[in-house]
Amino acid sequence: MNLKTTRLILALILSIFLAAVVRADLKWEQTTLDLHPAISDKQAIGHFKYENVGKTPVRFKSVHTSCGCTVAQTQKDQVGPGEKGEITATFNIGGRTGVQVKNVTVETDDPAHAVTVLTLKATIGQVLEIQPTFVYWQGGEEPKAKTIIVRSGKDVPIKKLDVTSSSPDFAAKVEPGSAPGEFNIKVQPHETNRAIVATLTIKPDYPANPPQLFYANARVMPAPATQ
Amino acid sequence: MKSSLARQALVLVALAFLPAIAEAIYFRDRVSWQAPVPASEMVTVAQARAWGDNAIWVDARPDEEFARHHVPGAILLNEDRWNELLPQFLAAWSPEKRVIVYCSSQSCNASSHVARRLRDEVQLKDIFVLEGGWEEWLKSKK
Repeated sequence: MNLKTTRLILALILSIFLAAVVRADLKWEQTTLDLHPAISDKQAIGHFKYENVGKTPVRFKSVHTSCGCTVAQTQKDQVGPGEKGEITATFNIGGRTGVQVKNVTVETDDPAHAVTVLTLKATIGQVLEIQPTFVYWQGGEEPKAKTIIVRSGKDVPIKKLDVTSSSPDFAAKVEPGSAPGEFNIKVQPHETNRAIVATLTIKPDYPANPPQLFYANARVMPAPATQ
Repeated sequence: MKSSLARQALVLVALAFLPAIAEAIYFRDRVSWQAPVPASEMVTVAQARAWGDNAIWVDARPDEEFARHHVPGAILLNEDRWNELLPQFLAAWSPEKRVIVYCSSQSCNASSHVARRLRDEVQLKDIFVLEGGWEEWLKSKK
């Protein structure tokens, strides 16, 4: 490497260093948060903390979320040098299950970090895993019982399930499954000569207060039209 | 001459790897959790329209967006109110019909989530995700 090239590289490094020193700089404590809301929680809330470690103020131009189920709020529009704050992201769990990843895109007037993507990863624990959540019979099919398998979630101590059918046209019976925390719900229509539908309400003995209800659906399809 | 060229090429390749490795380490927590929807489970607006009455349209967007406008005849089924909305979808479903799930760019991956749950939890077949979602359907009307 000749002298000219060495000088050029040094100048480049120096300019990058100087640019870093004088600019506004919003430093985030974490840009990814892992949340594990409790089973009864309706929301998962993440606090993305920041500090302006630069020499000039930083203004938030926009904050938007990747999904209507998540709302993000800033405490202030402008952050002075040395100031701290946070952006609060509230994720409404609704009927979601499993791992949910939601992004919050923050746009500032800091040219070096104009856009920052904050990621909220919520792992929603499941009390029950129900499979399938729907059983059906074709019109005229033999009205044999069909099985819905219900498994307790990880570390969820369920010993008993109560199942009720919204329609007297279906019988639902709970039997122990092949493993601890597993149950078989045998669902059977009394007849399949007419279209009927029912919602099965499944109530485990945990959590007791407040109790959580789960649902499965059963239906006898209309008999095929005869020509 | 040749060995010098080869050495320079190797150095360049090694240098190219450095930022790639650094990026992989820096973004290690930002892997995509959304598995892409396989092409066989996607459907274009033209294909979906051609199915006519043999298809059920499912709107996976939030209630407010559905209330503003939706594909005519579409059934609302979103994850905000999954348990409440599922029975009305199942009442309209029949085994011979295909199901087309759509969302919009504002409701992220809602359609792929809803389609996955219909396949895995409800155990239905012939579930498709609309390519380009609501915006693409709107474009096709112009």
